[in-house]
Amino acid sequence: MTATEQAPRPARIGGLQNRVTITFAIGGLVLVTVLSLVTYFLAQRYLLGQRERAALRQAFLDARFVRDELEETRAGEAEILRSLVLSPGSEAAVADGARWTATTRTLERSDVPIELRDLVAAGTTAHQRIDFHGRPALVLGVPLVDEGVDYFEFRPMTELASTLEVIRNSLLVAAVAATVAAGLLGRWAARRALRPLNSVSAAAGRMAEGDLRTRLTRESDPDLDRVARSFNSMADALETRIERDARFVSDVTHELRSPLTTLAAANDVLRARVDILPVQARAALELVVAEIDVLRDMVEELLELSRAQAGADPLRLEPVYVGELALQVATRLGDSDFVVDLDRDLDATALLLDKRRVERILTNLIANAQTHGQGITALRVHREDGFVRITIEDRGPGVAGEDHERIFERFARGSRSRRRGEDKGTGLGLALVAEHVRLHGGSVWVDDVPGGPGARFVVELPWIDA
Amino acid sequence: VQTRILAVEDDARIVRALSLALADEGHEVTGTETAEAALEVFDADRFDLVLVDLMLPGMNGFDLCRALRGSSDVPVIVLTARSDTHDVVAGLEAGADDYVTKPFETKELAARIRSLLRRTRSSHPSESERFVVGDLEVVPEAGVVRRDGEAIPLTKTEFFLLCELAEHRGMVLSREQLLERVWGYDYFGDSRLVDAHIRRLRTKVEPDPSNPVIIQTVRGLGYRLGG
Repeated sequence: MTATEQAPRPARIGGLQNRVTITFAIGGLVLVTVLSLVTYFLAQRYLLGQRERAALRQAFLDARFVRDELEETRAGEAEILRSLVLSPGSEAAVADGARWTATTRTLERSDVPIELRDLVAAGTTAHQRIDFHGRPALVLGVPLVDEGVDYFEFRPMTELASTLEVIRNSLLVAAVAATVAAGLLGRWAARRALRPLNSVSAAAGRMAEGDLRTRLTRESDPDLDRVARSFNSMADALETRIERDARFVSDVTHELRSPLTTLAAANDVLRARVDILPVQARAALELVVAEIDVLRDMVEELLELSRAQAGADPLRLEPVYVGELALQVATRLGDSDFVVDLDRDLDATALLLDKRRVERILTNLIANAQTHGQGITALRVHREDGFVRITIEDRGPGVAGEDHERIFERFARGSRSRRRGEDKGTGLGLALVAEHVRLHGGSVWVDDVPGGPGARFVVELPWIDA
Repeated sequence: VQTRILAVEDDARIVRALSLALADEGHEVTGTETAEAALEVFDADRFDLVLVDLMLPGMNGFDLCRALRGSSDVPVIVLTARSDTHDVVAGLEAGADDYVTKPFETKELAARIRSLLRRTRSSHPSESERFVVGDLEVVPEAGVVRRDGEAIPLTKTEFFLLCELAEHRGMVLSREQLLERVWGYDYFGDSRLVDAHIRRLRTKVEPDPSNPVIIQTVRGLGYRLGG
């Protein structure tokens, strides 16, 4: 409301809800990445190991066949290699000193890594993964010590590579899905966690708009229930306090009525004898008379205002011919020469309004134009979209911009009516207008008469056909 | 002729100021501070009009109105500190003819007193021949309404209201017109006065007050005598 209102701290990225969402998404991403990597490497190691063991077993069998053939048939190495039954895609070669015999021309000695060749030449069985003409492959070397030759076998690993690729892609898709899912989960959780906060802020908004009976429903969650409980007790305290203030104003005004009644009656007795009073006493009496009138109006309007604000007097809607009523009031209070501009619509159509209040609104606005605006210059009543708009223009100095809102507050005497001595107003007339308009669900404001001096008061009331 | 007014008001200073002010208008005011005392004085003496403050110690103003109505059709004006619809309507339904809100001007109160007294003194409303509405027989000279030969007790205000509607039978009279013709002054748009009296009148003359056929409401316009 006043000094205690704090500016919000610099906003972090997009509010609590988004922060929770992002945190959940990052957490999900990290977790799923670690899990995927571990899964991938374990799978790769297992599959590779399995393939290598199988290939080695097969290479030994094939090497044994080559050795047996070399021992028994003394056939040529090329011939023996041709009779080998290799698994699909595999190739074999025999290195006999400087001679290189292979199942296919494309397979050359240089395709076998030099370290592997050295190891095999030194009499050790060895294998190694290589890149064979752009494809992954396994090369195995078995020394046939008795024959003095080295046997090499090439097995393609493309199948394994594509299996691993499928696994890799699956894990990647799963990671993306898991990240999105985590983000959504975070969003849902944040929204759920913030729901009580939203209802608190909605309730506080309703209270600020004047619905003091707003309360939060109690929550089953103890943490949330604490918030609801303290909000409700704050609302209770606020409501009691505002009611006490309103009751105080209303009590004070009530108490003022009895002495005022006595004063008014005694005043009338004096006034009837004004001729026999000395001149000075007469002048004093005039002052007393004037002030008693002001006091009485003030008490009247204060009571009406406090009743309206306390909601003690509900709207009593009845069919009202607004144009006719406005014209009546304006002719009663205003000068004779003002522009009258009424929609034809309004003659035939009665609107559902509280007649007493509408009359009060018109009376106060026109009286205001008379006392502060040097007289009413125009009365306009028009049908707008869903509203009836009543405009009252005067020829006064207008209302300063900074007073446009303030002028509708209690005792807010605008700069144009500072001369309290001449001012017969109570300082409550426009506050009462604002209150009665608010009760109707309409709006009231003041601006300047276009292209001229003078203030223009505009009231909009809902158009409901009676 | 001085009229005698009984003022029932617990604030002695208001009574003193009122009796001074009303003396200028030719009324003699007797004051009592409680409703109980008022009933005693009223029975012992003759008064032309009673002013009743609604907030009294002990028996309140509403009950006093009802008690007065039980035995007399003396005009009653209530003085209320509140113009709430609730208090005003309750006062009128308890049998008061009119009300003023404190603080009031003597002029205003005097005008209402005058108009009520005028009504009381002339028991002849504008129409002077007897007439029949539904199963009601109205005799303006005698100021009585009969159903099946049996008199229905009406206050002067109620009686005048009925006669006013009868004079314009079939026509709709607005609340403002009724205010002016029956109460006799340009009341500041307070239709509650008319509505409350119409309600009281209906409970007395309508066979079924919740479904009125004699005094009909014309929505948005006013009232009309049917039957």
